[in-house]
Amino acid sequence: MPEAADTAAAPSGAAPDIEVRELTKAFGRREVLRGISFDVERGGFLSIFGPNGAGKTTILRILATLTAPTSGTVGVAGYDAREEAMPVRAAIGMISHSPLLYPDLTAYENLRFYADMYGLGDRDERIAELLDRVELSHRRYDVVRTFSKGMRQRLAIARAILHRPRVLLLDEPHSGLDPRAVDILDGLLAEIRSEHTFVMVTHSIQKGLELATQVLIIDGGKAVFASAGGVDPSAFTAVYREHVQEGSVA
Amino acid sequence: MGGRQFVAILRKDLIRELRTKEMLISMFLFVMLAMVIFHYAFSVKENVDLTYFTGGMLWVTFIFAALLGLNRSFAQEKDENCLDGLLLCPVDRVTIFFAKMAGNLIFLAIIQIVAIPVFTVFFVKHGYFGRLPSFLLVVLLADLGICALGTLLATISMNTRARDLLLPIIFLPLIVPVLIAATSATTAIFSGDSELGPLGARLVFLAMFDIVFMVAAYGTYDFAIGE
Repeated sequence: MPEAADTAAAPSGAAPDIEVRELTKAFGRREVLRGISFDVERGGFLSIFGPNGAGKTTILRILATLTAPTSGTVGVAGYDAREEAMPVRAAIGMISHSPLLYPDLTAYENLRFYADMYGLGDRDERIAELLDRVELSHRRYDVVRTFSKGMRQRLAIARAILHRPRVLLLDEPHSGLDPRAVDILDGLLAEIRSEHTFVMVTHSIQKGLELATQVLIIDGGKAVFASAGGVDPSAFTAVYREHVQEGSVA
Repeated sequence: MGGRQFVAILRKDLIRELRTKEMLISMFLFVMLAMVIFHYAFSVKENVDLTYFTGGMLWVTFIFAALLGLNRSFAQEKDENCLDGLLLCPVDRVTIFFAKMAGNLIFLAIIQIVAIPVFTVFFVKHGYFGRLPSFLLVVLLADLGICALGTLLATISMNTRARDLLLPIIFLPLIVPVLIAATSATTAIFSGDSELGPLGARLVFLAMFDIVFMVAAYGTYDFAIGE
C-alpha cells in the first residue's frame, strides 16, 4: 500500500482531465478545504472517501462550477473552472443523490429540457437511445413524480450523460437506493465506464474501490491519503481507520 | 443570450405550471377574493363612484398576486435540487433571469386577462374603450417592472431560510414607485380626468424603472443566483 501523500497524482501517460492545485474553500471563517491537490488522467476514475463534513461534496461542487474556490486552481477538461466556466459546464455531467430532475415533467420532457440547454443537435435520437439504455422507454411519457427512487436515479444517469460529457462527477450516487436499484446503477456505471473520466464521492469503500484507478481520503479539508486503485478493500479499511480520526466506515 | 435555452426554460416553466396550476390557481383566487372584499368594503352607500380608487385597488391587488407567483417561481427549482441541474448547464445566467421573468410575466398576464374585465364591471363607471391602448401600455410597462424586480429579488431570497418572509419585505418597498405611477396612470385613464396630469410622463417613468432593474439584473444576476 503506497504511503499517504498530499497530492494524488494521475498515473503517468495521458494528459490529466482534472487538475486541482492547492484548492482552498472557506465559508466565512470556516475553512472547508485546506490546500487539496490532485490530478485525474483522461479515462481515470478517482474515488474520494472521507467522513461527513470532510469537504468531499465541496470539491465536486467546485469542479462543477457550482461553488467558487477561495484560492487555488481547478482545471477541468483543459479549461480553468473559474475563468472558463461555460466550457467546463459543457464538459461535465453530474450524478448526485438528488436526481436533479423536475418531478412534474415527464421523463422525455426532462431530457428534452436538458438537451436544449446543452444545445444537442440529435436531441430526439439521443433521448430515445438513452431511455432504451436505462430501460425507461416504456415510461417516457410518465411524470417523474410517479417514478421510484431507483427509476429516478437511472433517469438521472441518462440526464448526466445526455450531452456526452468528458467528465462525470458522482456524489454518493448509491445513497438511498434499494439493492436492486444499486445493481442496476452499478451495471450502468460499468457500461459507461470507458466513455468518461470519473470523480466519485462515496462513503462506501467497496463501491468506491470497485472501479477506481485512484483513491483519495480527505479529512478536515486536507488530503490525508492518496494512492493508485486496485486496493484490497479490507486493507483500505485499515488505512482509512488509521488516517481518519472521526466518522464511520461504510 | 441563448435563444434555445431561453425557450427551453420558459417552456419547462409553462408546462409545469399548466400541469400543476399551483401558481395560477392561488393568484386567481387571491385576485377574485380581493375584488369581492373591495366591493363590499367600499359599498357603504348606493351609487358611489369608485372610479378614483380603482387604479389603487387594481394595482395593489396585482402586486400582491404577483408576489404569490414570485414566491413559487423559484420554489419549484429548489425541489429535488433542480436549481443545481439548471446551473450545471452551459447557460448564461442572464438567460435564466429573462426566461424566469418572461414566465412570471405570462402568469401575471393570464390573471389580468381574466381579472381586468371583471374589475371593470365591478368598479369602473365610465367607458374607457377609446383609451384602451394607453391602458394596455400601462399594464405592460407596470408588469415588466413588477416581474423584473420581483424575479431578481425572488432569486436573491430563494437561498435564504426565510424566503417566504424575505421576498415581501424587500419587494414591497422597492415596487412603490411602480405602484404610484401605474395607479395614477390607470386612474387617469379610467376617469378621463385630464387634471390628473400627463400620461406620457408616467409611461416614461415606468419604462425607465423597467430598464433600470433589467440592467441591474443583467449586471448582478451571476452573483444573485450563485452561492
